[in-house]
Amino acid sequence: MNSQTKSQFIAVASITSELSAVMVVAKEISLAAANAKAIAFRAGDKAKGFQPITDFINELAKETIELVTNINVYALLLYRLTVNEYRRTAAYNRFEQVAKLAIGARYADSMQEPISHARTMMQDCQRQFKRDVTQLLGQLEAVMHHARAARVIAANSRIEASQAGEYLQSLQAVAESVDKAAHTIHDNVQRCRIALSIYRNS
Amino acid sequence: MKMTKIYEGAHQWVMFGRDENKPDNIIDSNQYIVRTANKCLLLEPGGTELFAPMMAAVLHHAPVDQITDLFASHQDPDVISSLGLWDQALSNAKLHAPALWEGYIRNFGCESIEYVPIPDNGETIKIESVELQIIPAHYLHSPCNFHVYDPQAKILMCGSVGSAFEAANAPVFVERFDVHVEKMRAYHQRMMPSNQAKRAWIDRVRNLDIDILAPQHGRMFKGDDVKRFLDWFDSLQVGTGV
Repeated sequence: MNSQTKSQFIAVASITSELSAVMVVAKEISLAAANAKAIAFRAGDKAKGFQPITDFINELAKETIELVTNINVYALLLYRLTVNEYRRTAAYNRFEQVAKLAIGARYADSMQEPISHARTMMQDCQRQFKRDVTQLLGQLEAVMHHARAARVIAANSRIEASQAGEYLQSLQAVAESVDKAAHTIHDNVQRCRIALSIYRNS
Repeated sequence: MKMTKIYEGAHQWVMFGRDENKPDNIIDSNQYIVRTANKCLLLEPGGTELFAPMMAAVLHHAPVDQITDLFASHQDPDVISSLGLWDQALSNAKLHAPALWEGYIRNFGCESIEYVPIPDNGETIKIESVELQIIPAHYLHSPCNFHVYDPQAKILMCGSVGSAFEAANAPVFVERFDVHVEKMRAYHQRMMPSNQAKRAWIDRVRNLDIDILAPQHGRMFKGDDVKRFLDWFDSLQVGTGV
């Protein structure tokens, strides 16, 4: 296995790993939203501005979980494509080796068709991989967009929390936890994007 | 890769092996082809590492599109791990292999090649006008294992039975049976687990008219050495090599 193929396998495997961490964090946001909703309910008028924010946080967490679930399915397809490309490339290289070893053999020319077919299949896989990576990068961008939105919500939450009297600390903790989670999601997804970006369609 | 024609009649048998460029840490194995006018059956196609020299050697005898059938006696990697490469090279081929091992062997890659499962009691494969008998050889050494007998050529391709490990420059036929025995003993005691299975195989094989015993590793046996081998194997206690 050459170093490019190894990097490709690692890049694809790292997506699944990073995204499973994102999924955990998104679920934490969802829990934080439920917690915030309960606090805001108890705070009543003092946290009036906070109540719609909790719904928003929850919605954002749900959408992130849905997006990541879809991306994971896609990442699995990308992994299969990588395996397929590896097999096709290995076959093509072996067939070329056969052609060299078979020089002078009575039926050496008959190897040309399998070589040509293997080359086409290998190139198709490479093109398909680039197309799929480009699409996956788009989906990852959507997750990052959600993470950025969550950070804005966290900032708004802090402002609303400051007017919540004795509930200030609890609601600020919620805002902090959303901000931290959004930060983690952003960083993890960014690492996926960096790992994959060298394979995208130019 | 050394090529030795071992039968020439209306069809041919060719033995391949003793690849000088083989990595040292990979065991040497024998591959065979049965060549008819328009078809070619490849017996024990070999491991991935041997694919390129093996295929290049076959191209001396048959074009790619006439390699129509493959046979694997059992599921071991030195027998059939090259399947994924043959699968991408051959557009219209069948693999005849034990039914029991289908799910295992498919791990090597088998998408375009048709897997033809061999039932436990064996069957007959027809390559154009040549009829080959698939003889059960279970537990020798794999729990589901088959050999190939050609009644016309009087050759029995006997898989792991009769195997020995030799240097790349070793002759392809046994020359002194008494010397060769010591190269086989430990392998057979260790790899063949059942005296009962061994006896059943010997009883079956003694009824066949055999000129050449062609194992998957080491030298082939011909003439009187065929009987010598059967007698020696009959008297050997197996499953004791630990």
